[in-house]
Amino acid sequence: MPISDIPILSMLRTRMQWHQARQEVLAENVANADTPNYRARDITPLDFGTQLSTASLSMVSTDPNHIAASAGSGAGSQFASDSSGRYEIRPRGNSVTHEDEMMKVAANQMDFEAVTSLYTHSLAMIKLAIGK
Amino acid sequence: MDFGNPLDFVKSLTVAASGLKAQIGRMRIISENIANSDSVAATPGGDPYRRRIVTFSSELDRSLGVNVVKLGAVETDKSDFMIKHEPGNPAADANGDVKYPNVNTLVEMTDLRDAQRSYEANLNVVTATRRMLQRTIDIIKS
Repeated sequence: MPISDIPILSMLRTRMQWHQARQEVLAENVANADTPNYRARDITPLDFGTQLSTASLSMVSTDPNHIAASAGSGAGSQFASDSSGRYEIRPRGNSVTHEDEMMKVAANQMDFEAVTSLYTHSLAMIKLAIGK
Repeated sequence: MDFGNPLDFVKSLTVAASGLKAQIGRMRIISENIANSDSVAATPGGDPYRRRIVTFSSELDRSLGVNVVKLGAVETDKSDFMIKHEPGNPAADANGDVKYPNVNTLVEMTDLRDAQRSYEANLNVVTATRRMLQRTIDIIKS
């Protein structure tokens, strides 16, 4: 089992990708603060429940004829994940408020830093377990 | 390990940079207006400097897939000129009236403050994104 398959690490990674995507949307909002007819956007919050259920990767059968396969068997079972388009983007309000956006950017940055330090600590625990 | 595409942070930086550029362009036009707020016509009875207005438009950057902001066409303000009675002015028409530009310095200064505020907001995004990128790199160092 590779280190990247450890549920806590993969969950933290998803969270980091979410913050990355959110930073992108917030940057667009701030840049377009003076663009006519532009609507401020935000991405939907990450749901802990669904994240927990998808933390362990398993294949989905969309057709009754599909043969069930167990994930994680063999070296070639890693799926490349595309972080673009994973999060739903919804319109919010009709104008950009600089104050609101700044608050969101600051919150996003702080949360991201919390996630990265959690990641670092999780790695440190693994290092401790293997005695290094 | 997949930490998401590091280009995603570059995308945020590109968007913020486009905002900075647009606001700088806006400030340039505003300072043009202020500088020319007393520019009367060169010929008697002619039209003086006409106030210019910037427009912004949101454009899709196809290589990155993000909405960057672009400075659109610079339009002219169609409002009436200010007319002052100055028979001694070289630009005065037959009645002694001089047309002055339709620039209100107070409005321009307010606009300038607004542009400055937007610029700072974009700069804040750049700083925040840079720090997030740095934190990602710090994971490797640990």
